[in-house]
Amino acid sequence: MSRHDGRSTRLRHRPSRAVPALIVGILLLAAGVLLVWLTVARLVNGTWPNVLQGPRDWLTSLAWNGSGAWWIGIAAVVIGVILLLCAIVPGGFSALMLNDAGGSREEKAGRVQEQEIVMTRRAVAHLAKAQCRQIDGVGSASATATTKHVHLSVQTPLHDTGDLRSRVTDSVRNRLEATGLNPVPRVTATIRSKG
Amino acid sequence: MRQTAGTLNRIWLTILGILALAAGVALLLQSSGQMHVLANTAPSGDRVVTGDLHAVFAASWVVVIMLVVGVIMGVLGLLWVIAQIPRKNTAGAYRLHDDGGEGFTVCEPSVLATAVENQVNTLPGVVTSSALLRGTAKAADLTLKVTVNDRTDVQDLIRRFETSTLPDLSSALEAPLQRSRVQIDISGRTQSTGTVVHSTGTVVQ
Repeated sequence: MSRHDGRSTRLRHRPSRAVPALIVGILLLAAGVLLVWLTVARLVNGTWPNVLQGPRDWLTSLAWNGSGAWWIGIAAVVIGVILLLCAIVPGGFSALMLNDAGGSREEKAGRVQEQEIVMTRRAVAHLAKAQCRQIDGVGSASATATTKHVHLSVQTPLHDTGDLRSRVTDSVRNRLEATGLNPVPRVTATIRSKG
Repeated sequence: MRQTAGTLNRIWLTILGILALAAGVALLLQSSGQMHVLANTAPSGDRVVTGDLHAVFAASWVVVIMLVVGVIMGVLGLLWVIAQIPRKNTAGAYRLHDDGGEGFTVCEPSVLATAVENQVNTLPGVVTSSALLRGTAKAADLTLKVTVNDRTDVQDLIRRFETSTLPDLSSALEAPLQRSRVQIDISGRTQSTGTVVHSTGTVVQ
């Protein structure tokens, strides 16, 4: 998946692991700079910098079964497992698929070979919130969305919330269905009365 | 729209993870004495450094190797950090016609992308849009990000896009598109172009 081939990649993708990659990249860079600085100092002055005295003494006194070696081994195993988990755990999709608006297959083939229409999770949450605010009895609302689940937190001035929860979830589900989300995420709501 | 280095990150995280895990497990086996039994390495009671460190690090070729290793590590780290910057990965100029001696016609994809944006911006409910063309003139690859108002009928918008913008672009290029990818975002803002009138009132039945 080169980024110089002039081709598009899927808009609905999994996380790109930029944060662990940045952390490891910066650590590699720092280690490289440190090594270059030490060796250049050695080449210029003829002796290794004094900062290496401590690590050198520690290393010469270290035994294979000493606690230092154990801790380094455990740290390496933990770091290795964390890096592997970062690479292997797939993570959620960034967006939800939308149905395209119809039209026959032959008709579409004349215009486009392959089509992808998505809506970001943030957009779905925004849409659910906007729909929720149009319902009578809703004071304020906030929404979070994953690819399978939309959750609404609603504050209402009503003392008796009654059927507000089902009205909210039905209305939002209908809106998401009409928008063409496929599959339609599960909609849940928590209602809190201000009074 | 912009492309990130997802595959590269996964590959390198896996490689470094396996290396760190293998080194850690080997060190733990060595510390516990198992490695001595399995591979006949130094007994676990021995010191890690048995020779003279001063003598080893005094040689100038060791210094040069360390310098080279440091430069390689630093450059790889820097390249990996730079790779995190999202890229557009746009296409080169589209070659529309090439009739040998009679000349040829080229078109910057950004010109077509702007035309697509302008057309999409007039569709009902669209707040803003941004288009990017990749691929070639005969197999164009359209990526479009459309931000719409939260009252917009999204299915109607997609229908209009598929029946007006896509055929227009396809006829301009005189070839069907290879791919069309559309990302829809929702905004609370209202449309800045076109003729959308928001109305509120009471429905009398």
